[in-house]
Amino acid sequence: MSDLEAFRAKAAAWCESMVPAFGKAARKGLSVEEDLALGRRYQKAKFDAGFAGINWPTEYGGQGLGHIEKITFEGEEMKHGFPNVYFGISLGMPVPVLMQFGSDREFVKERVVKALKGEEIWCQLFSEPSGGTDLAGLRTRAEPDGNGWKINGQKVWTSWAQYSDYGVIVVRTDPTVAKHKGLTYFWVDMKAPGVTVRPIKLAGGDSHVNEVFFDDVKISDDHRMSPVGGGFAVALTTLMIERYVATDSAGFGPHLDLFVDLAKDVKINGKPAIEDGRIRQQIARNYAMRAGLDSINRRARLMMQAGMTPGPEGSLNKLVAVRSRQKLSELALDLQGTDAFPFDEHASPKDDWASSWINAPTGRIAGGSDETLLNTIAERILGLPQDHRPDKGIPFNQIPA
Amino acid sequence: MSILHDEGQQAIATESRRVLEARISKDDLLPLLETSGRYHEGFWTTAKEQGWTALALPEAYGGLDLGLVELGLIAHQAGRSLSGAPFLTSGFGAAKAIELLGTDAQKQRWLPGLASGEAIGAVAFAAGADPLPARPDLTCASGHIEGRARSVTAGLAADVAVVLADEAGTPVLALVDLAGVERSAIDSFDNSRLIADLRFAGTPAEVIATGPAAHGAALQILALQAVVTAHEQTGGAEALMEIARDYAVTRKAFGQPIGAFQSIKHRIAELYGLVELARANCIHAAARADQADFITAAAAARLSATEAYDTAARDCVQIHGGIGVTWEIGLHLHMRRSRSLALEQGNSLFWEDILVDRLAGEAA
Repeated sequence: MSDLEAFRAKAAAWCESMVPAFGKAARKGLSVEEDLALGRRYQKAKFDAGFAGINWPTEYGGQGLGHIEKITFEGEEMKHGFPNVYFGISLGMPVPVLMQFGSDREFVKERVVKALKGEEIWCQLFSEPSGGTDLAGLRTRAEPDGNGWKINGQKVWTSWAQYSDYGVIVVRTDPTVAKHKGLTYFWVDMKAPGVTVRPIKLAGGDSHVNEVFFDDVKISDDHRMSPVGGGFAVALTTLMIERYVATDSAGFGPHLDLFVDLAKDVKINGKPAIEDGRIRQQIARNYAMRAGLDSINRRARLMMQAGMTPGPEGSLNKLVAVRSRQKLSELALDLQGTDAFPFDEHASPKDDWASSWINAPTGRIAGGSDETLLNTIAERILGLPQDHRPDKGIPFNQIPA
Repeated sequence: MSILHDEGQQAIATESRRVLEARISKDDLLPLLETSGRYHEGFWTTAKEQGWTALALPEAYGGLDLGLVELGLIAHQAGRSLSGAPFLTSGFGAAKAIELLGTDAQKQRWLPGLASGEAIGAVAFAAGADPLPARPDLTCASGHIEGRARSVTAGLAADVAVVLADEAGTPVLALVDLAGVERSAIDSFDNSRLIADLRFAGTPAEVIATGPAAHGAALQILALQAVVTAHEQTGGAEALMEIARDYAVTRKAFGQPIGAFQSIKHRIAELYGLVELARANCIHAAARADQADFITAAAAARLSATEAYDTAARDCVQIHGGIGVTWEIGLHLHMRRSRSLALEQGNSLFWEDILVDRLAGEAA
């Protein structure tokens, strides 16, 4: 057995052992607050077992292993539906950026370890009402205030802000230069005076995203994590941290086996749906698509193991998988007819077709909309021209509103 | 079999691409469409010379003992270059049938010739819309075949065929020496495939499999050929995606390259997705050749490759506008090939059913 296989076996055994305490059954019926509390205990258990911060340096509480071990663990972990969602953003982006760019190293170390143990949560304050895809068009501003800065403005779609202790934020410090050049990157204390968090209820009924308002929020200059005017580059670092994460060719919806089972159970015109050509075609097409993504992901893992850089085709996963999941979920509801009406808003999108269907649009928008991803493929991979950008090179305060 | 290509395999891909790009041109391919019974001799000479015909056959019979991965890499390049000879796939299919089911004498007789490319092989299982009929049109009685095999790819030039026939209600696979068999060329939209009807009239044949074993072996042969064809389709789709991209960055309208319009750039980005999914499925299927899940992997490769090539042919012409539908630019060569490859080795409808039967646990 290779070292990696041994690691996988160890990870799989540990995950199995956590199922009674933290698996789907243990979470059933919990309120979000109770589930978060359970999640913090799970994160602590993960830390104690040596599976938190797998590819982070040991001096920051990590395990000092590679990216491949991290996604290997995640591949095992995602089989069980543990309450880890509250820490995904926190440990995925803000905390690694803090580790890289935070100036007070003792403070950084303390925060990183607490985040790894699930004691503290960080959020990422990027998107604004005026735009999410056009990050550099943001309007929240920070003005010099004594030796520090004063922040005013509004962020939106901030995941888990209502439970966050800290956040990283990009703000405009100079409106007189082109939009990318006037931004600066800071961290903020989410409990500071002037910070107001309002949860947003989403279409599916849950409220994991928020509006966050900043009214004269004062921070000292040691909160700054980029040169003044150099915030965009750090923001890009954040977004590029890990192109290859543990992916799911089901688009974080139900496995295709569940659709096949459903098609065997229900009837169309008195005959099993599994014998209906329309249904068979969808099963076959979805299988071929998912098998392709699985092969791309397997190949990427093997390349990383061999010390090579995987190809750009890994960027297809979210685009292809989530929109297919959306359509397949619609068809799964169709198959059930009026029996599909009973709706449990707390059901998991991974094993409930209605939940998968109603939450699918979020997946196609968050983290790069389908259209943005197509632009990225066209421009970065295929070398096609950028879209026309009338605001290019114009000082921010002269861009027509 | 790893899905990461080693240095030797990478060399096969780059070398075959180099040779084919140097030797195949649109100007040679266009006239083949308007004659019947001619194929691109340059390609076939190259295939023999480079040992591509021998690649996946056993060393004991003049082969190179490599496998589906290597043959797939060649087929991908053949697809890119629209190489106009169908024998690489059909010869491989016939040779595999003989290797898997034939006697030593049959192997001795046919495999060295198929490996060197001196002999051309064909596979005739289909009866029109049914790629693998339970009751084949051909009949077999005491070692003689009767009936017409319709539209057999490579049939016009083949020396030997593996056919599926009905012997008193039971399917059999039989090996037929085509010397002296009457054949008539089918004038097709893709003439260099050398498609022909074969008329058997008491033609001597050697049965190599009988009953369910014959049907199972036929499916295995068809799947092996389908994976080779899927590579060829993926190569064609990849070439079209690049042609579309190159045109979109140079052709201007309304003061900018047409590739700056999202309706065009997103179409090409979608092609990229289809090509990469097809490629990934091909790589996976080629590596599963000897495994229990091979038929499933082959079906997925075949479905995604057909979708990629069909869509790329459709969209590449559309992106070109008027010039795209001219004879001279030759995009119709890909359109034609995308359709002929979609019909050979079982169409998408067939592979969808094969796949779902397996996913639903209805097939062994």
